[in-house]
Amino acid sequence: MNHLGEQISALVDGELAGADLDRATAHLAACTRCRAEAADLRQLKVELRALFEVDSDDALIRRLLDMPDRGGPVPSRRHRREHPRNTRPPRRERDTKRRRGRYVLWSAVSVFVVGVGAAAFTMGGTGGAATPEPKITPQLEMFNVEHAIISGDVPFPDPTRTTARATSP
Amino acid sequence: MSPFPVLRRPRPGLLLGVVLTITVPSLLAALALSESPLSAGVREDPSGHPVSAQSGPGMRLLGKSATAGLNASYQGVELIAQRGVSGPDTIVSDVWHKDGLTVTQTSNTTMVAGGQPYVSYDADNRSAEGVFGVTKTLVALLGEHYVAVYRGTGSAVGRPALIVELRRADGSLAARFWLDKQTMVPLRREVYDASAELISQDAFVQVQFGALRPPAAAMAATKAPAGSAWAAVTAPAQLVLELNKQGWRLPGALPGGLPLYAATRSHAGAAQVVQLGYSDGLSVVSLFVQRGALAAKPAGWEQNSLLGHQVYVAGHSIIWAAGGFVYTMIADAPPRVVTQVVASLPQNAAPGVIGRIRHGLARLVAIINPFG
Repeated sequence: MNHLGEQISALVDGELAGADLDRATAHLAACTRCRAEAADLRQLKVELRALFEVDSDDALIRRLLDMPDRGGPVPSRRHRREHPRNTRPPRRERDTKRRRGRYVLWSAVSVFVVGVGAAAFTMGGTGGAATPEPKITPQLEMFNVEHAIISGDVPFPDPTRTTARATSP
Repeated sequence: MSPFPVLRRPRPGLLLGVVLTITVPSLLAALALSESPLSAGVREDPSGHPVSAQSGPGMRLLGKSATAGLNASYQGVELIAQRGVSGPDTIVSDVWHKDGLTVTQTSNTTMVAGGQPYVSYDADNRSAEGVFGVTKTLVALLGEHYVAVYRGTGSAVGRPALIVELRRADGSLAARFWLDKQTMVPLRREVYDASAELISQDAFVQVQFGALRPPAAAMAATKAPAGSAWAAVTAPAQLVLELNKQGWRLPGALPGGLPLYAATRSHAGAAQVVQLGYSDGLSVVSLFVQRGALAAKPAGWEQNSLLGHQVYVAGHSIIWAAGGFVYTMIADAPPRVVTQVVASLPQNAAPGVIGRIRHGLARLVAIINPFG
């Protein structure tokens, strides 16, 4: 049997047409090896695309955007913390006593919050359980058939079964 | 004397003539040939009245194709290749259809170990009413979300075919259908995502039309006792409202422009399952919801994280539990849309640290409160 070879790539990319497309799909239906190869190629495309999808929240991107000038150095994380972009004028030095009082207040509040939180966490893990719920394993085989009825397509087999079998839902 | 050659200045009239000769015919040709959805969207009929593309030849052909898929008798082999959340799925199915009954026998798949055939049908003649998603209901939805454009003739599986394309509002290609010229039954469908990536290929690799001998599975289906465990709901939106009043959390629409269009429910009383169908005519998502919690580590399912939500994935199906309900989603949709949909639905309600602290605080207040 002549396998699809380089035509698989064109098929996966949707570049085949006419008789070539007919021949390729017919071959794919009969050839496990080429079908597996096509599946691998599709997966590879998905993974390659994922590589190029840049997360806009990425810390590196934010730092690059913070670069002062084109060609300038990428500011370090510490530098960003210490020198925010929109630096306001330096604050007046605070009174040492006032600062100490604030520390004491914050410490007391922190100890209280942590204490209450720890108590609540401990109590939250005991008692008050909800009514027992039935344990469900979805009947995927039946669901696939119902999905096919409304989607106008053939039902996919249940992939969770290690061996397929004949069914009548 | 200047070292540079002196060019003679051309006459302005001649230059203008040359420019007009080249540009005017080019612009006219481009305007005549361009068939963007906007230009295809509104045309004029012979009497001069504007005709929407939704009542134009493309949509009319798809409407005829939906009827043909229901009424025609056919038998063939379909190759279905889709990109699911967990990777590509490919199946090969023998399909037999006559008098509203469809029997599919799927075998030789890349997903299922072993070579045993898989037979499925509904015992109450509630078979799929179309081929490759071309049903009357879905075609009506296509008309609301896409522009259908007739693209001329071609061929598929060795038969003359009419080609219809679906375009999004921005003009990008969403899908291409090959409809059998003789019977109008769909022979092939290709679906593309918004970035022009081919995400689904469905095609007949063999097909016959006309009087056909039913396979054994079809005989068994017609002899099976009538009465499906599922009943269609005539007003899906009303069902969602009623169940949400009873504590269910069912969406009226899904992200990606997928409105609710169908609902069925099983007759199983307290253990009933509700199926909600959402679609724009091309992508179809079924959401099955039932009361309960997931069995510990369901066999055959792979744990996955979608936008931070913990779910189990198998093929193009996803399951998770939340707030006393189990959700099973089966999606024929681009992976990006599937991820958005999962993120929009109720998620695992297992109490984390915050939930546990909140529960504990409630208990503490109840103990401390002297009026409680």
